[in-house]
Amino acid sequence: MVLEIQKPRPIWQIMFSTHHTDVGLLYLITSLAALFMGGALALAIRLELFFPGAQIIADSMTFNRMFTVHGTTLIFLFILPFASAIGNYLIPIMVRYKDMAYPKLNAIAFWMIPPGFALIWLGFADFTWNAYAPYSIISAPGPAADMWIFGLKILGVSSILGAINFIVTILKCKHPDLPLSKIPLLAWAYLTSSLIMIVAMPTFAAALLMLLTDRLAVSGFFNPAMGGDPIAYQHLFWFTFHPEVYVLVIPAIGFMYEIIPRFSRKPIFSHSSGVAAFILLSIVGFASWAHHMYASGMSFTEKTVFMVGTLAAVPASAMHVFNFLATMWGGRIRFATPMMWSVGGIALFFSAGAGGVVNSAMPLDFVTHDSYWVVGHFHLFVMGTIAFGSFGFLYYIFPYVTGRMYNEKWGNIHFITSFIGAVMIFFTQHVLGLYGMPRRIFDYPPFPEWIAMNQFASIGGMLLGVSAAIFLANMIYSSAKGKEANMDDPWGIGGKYYYPYQQKNPHH
Amino acid sequence: MSHTEHIEPIFRTSPERTAKMMAIMLGISVVGAAIFFGMWDYWISAPPVAGLGPAAQQPTAPVAVTGKEIQVSLSFVESADFRTLAFNALPGEPDNNPDIHANVGDKIIFDVVNSGKSFHAFGVTQEDEGFTGIIAGSEIASASNPLRPNQSGQSEFIPTKEGTYYYICTVPGHREQGMVGQIIVGPKQSSGTQTVKPTGASHNFEFNFVESSDFRTLGFNALPGEAGSNPEIRVKAGDSVTVKVTNTGKSFHSFGVVTNPEDFNSIVWNSAISSASNPLKPGQSGDVTFTAGATGTYYYICTVPGHSIQGMQGKFIVE
Amino acid sequence: MVKVSGHSTWPEWIYIGVVVALLVWVGAEAWNVERLIEHVPADAQIIKVTGQQWFWTFEHADGTKEIGELHLQKGKPYKFEITSKDVIHSFNIPDYVVLQDAVPGRINTVWFVPKDTGEFPIQCREYCGLIHYNMRGTLYVEDTA
Repeated sequence: MVLEIQKPRPIWQIMFSTHHTDVGLLYLITSLAALFMGGALALAIRLELFFPGAQIIADSMTFNRMFTVHGTTLIFLFILPFASAIGNYLIPIMVRYKDMAYPKLNAIAFWMIPPGFALIWLGFADFTWNAYAPYSIISAPGPAADMWIFGLKILGVSSILGAINFIVTILKCKHPDLPLSKIPLLAWAYLTSSLIMIVAMPTFAAALLMLLTDRLAVSGFFNPAMGGDPIAYQHLFWFTFHPEVYVLVIPAIGFMYEIIPRFSRKPIFSHSSGVAAFILLSIVGFASWAHHMYASGMSFTEKTVFMVGTLAAVPASAMHVFNFLATMWGGRIRFATPMMWSVGGIALFFSAGAGGVVNSAMPLDFVTHDSYWVVGHFHLFVMGTIAFGSFGFLYYIFPYVTGRMYNEKWGNIHFITSFIGAVMIFFTQHVLGLYGMPRRIFDYPPFPEWIAMNQFASIGGMLLGVSAAIFLANMIYSSAKGKEANMDDPWGIGGKYYYPYQQKNPHH
Repeated sequence: MSHTEHIEPIFRTSPERTAKMMAIMLGISVVGAAIFFGMWDYWISAPPVAGLGPAAQQPTAPVAVTGKEIQVSLSFVESADFRTLAFNALPGEPDNNPDIHANVGDKIIFDVVNSGKSFHAFGVTQEDEGFTGIIAGSEIASASNPLRPNQSGQSEFIPTKEGTYYYICTVPGHREQGMVGQIIVGPKQSSGTQTVKPTGASHNFEFNFVESSDFRTLGFNALPGEAGSNPEIRVKAGDSVTVKVTNTGKSFHSFGVVTNPEDFNSIVWNSAISSASNPLKPGQSGDVTFTAGATGTYYYICTVPGHSIQGMQGKFIVE
Repeated sequence: MVKVSGHSTWPEWIYIGVVVALLVWVGAEAWNVERLIEHVPADAQIIKVTGQQWFWTFEHADGTKEIGELHLQKGKPYKFEITSKDVIHSFNIPDYVVLQDAVPGRINTVWFVPKDTGEFPIQCREYCGLIHYNMRGTLYVEDTA
């Protein structure tokens, strides 16, 4: 059953609609636009870092603005909206309800994204996506910085509204015959990540407001010249954004829970284990934030507490990996494009987590803090796990949304080039960090090892660029002229493509 | 599943629809790009209000130095139970928290020693309570890096307005426990002990701001160590001086003649060209004409914080 | 063990047990090593480090000041008292794993013993604006005279 269009409708009707499928489509298009725009910035960054000295970027201020907007865009305008897109499409179906709990609020939550997008991209601030005080207060020029603050404020509210909608729909609107323990793991993923979001996000909303009043010099929360403490900002920021990284990764794990059992033609190894792992991760995820601040001057006891909190979250993630592998074991696997992305995603998720354990160990963090090791580490998560899981799910949902099949061969090529490119860049960056290269630098001294590794990573970046072009071409061409999909079983794997309760768009 | 799918035909996305979608996205991007690139400089043009520092947030008239210097010796003292603190003597005894009298433009030189057993720090503020608003140049140590017992330090303060200033211990709470005294500032004397009559002579100086390629060493005309760097200037009191500066570097600079080469706020005689918050960009020039004041050794510096220490300072001697 | 999934769950428990054991070992080792490296030797000479946009200045215990360069002696322990004049920087000597943020309004400390003579780079490891990428210095370690 095709969701997006049962018959062609004016685009304005989709824009003003409050139906979950239409809002889902709007989120999807916006997030993919952000993916390409933020990715283009990354490509420019890797080109610039190919040699020491200025290559294509004229000065360091432009470079600083580029990596700030790159990070901000991909996190707030790609990953979160993409998760909202899939959530909007599928949550009502998964809980067997007709729409989201609050359809109008849902549409409002989406429409806050374009203004936030515009504010961030027009301003193009330079203070990194962390916006640490006091640089963001006394040194970052405006109006770019203020626009970023306003943009993120709007996006934060949008996320909270969306999270409320997801939680209420799942908990309160689910079909009476459907017990909570039996809703699909993807729905559990949305439930837990939305709960984390509404607990964690308000802290950052407060921090943003304080940042703004500090910039205007009417307050001195984080400005030492006015009696404030810059480390307070870091606590507020990371209290939100460490749990936030779980908000980013949990939906992607949920995507894999949809794809892997179906393409292995086997049920998930342990549904209850998956549920337990999601719940455990969301709770323990709040106990580790200051592992981002080991070098800021914390006491030994403080650091120990956060190290324990960090390590405590690892078993939950490990449970998911086990679940996936145990599901695939003994299954009759169909290695179509969505499955490739999911398996590749698990491999990189595991690598990212392993590197993370190194960072969590207090003394080892002094080697890796704020170096390219960290860049490699988190990109293995956001690109290797989240983006890979998202691409896989996008290919999976493609027939559902458009009624056509994407080109399988080019989808596989997209995966292979992306996987190789990601490994080339992000594994190398771990080593680059061990050699001491700091983050966020426009230029570096001509140490031969640094040059060689940067060049290797940049070649990987070019590969990712090529794969993105392939992806874009595949998506556009296949939407327009792809082979018509068999809506019952697009990959011919046997079994159900989707849930028994199919959704109808009331406009049709 | 069978109850839904046997009736309705399945519609698939069409090329026209895809093309329409791509056209809308491209259109939005083009408009956005036009706005962004068309105003490229604007988005990063304004330094934040908080970053300009207390001096710029309440712009004051440039300091006109009278040449008079007032030496003040202070010591931090504590009661035996540490509950009462003061300068020089405890309350009730003579010389407790002595008042300092001065006029606008006088230079008060503080020599402060920690005669107690605890930690202290020093500063002058206009605020009548608390430990913030310390005027640049007047601070000795700080709350987080204080003077230990028997340590001492010096600092200077030139009041720019009539009224009451306060010298305090800047460790939070110590002011409230008694470590505060008043500086009572009277109006500017119309003629100081050294009157400066314009001599009629005039000088022209030109300086270039130069930078090393790694931005770590800076200088006027040449880098420190090279020939012609930071030339020494000698004029007579009352001479008219015209200075033209050109920014031949890649960074931002500004100019001023100061009494203290490490205090970029101690500009005298209205000799500033641009300022740290509104500096000269690469390639820009500026000029200023002023009358050299009372005899003494002054310095001409780049008034962007840090640049003077990195080498952009030279002697400006008034004879 | 309650069988919730209808099949054997003991492989998963063993796997989790191995993971937890590994993490406990990492945590204990890290705790121990950090405890050792935070113990500053009593005879460490104090070097005051001040970061500002965009250079480092140093002050030795005897009052000598250096800008952008730091001359130390091999084999002697040094304790850095690090602060900043404006925004957060991070004082880093990568070859000796010396790393601690320079935060305005507070003083952070880290100590080390330079074991080899030579020249070692000093860099800033926290984004601090326009010239963060070139906020570098050099550590010169000389033989004790």
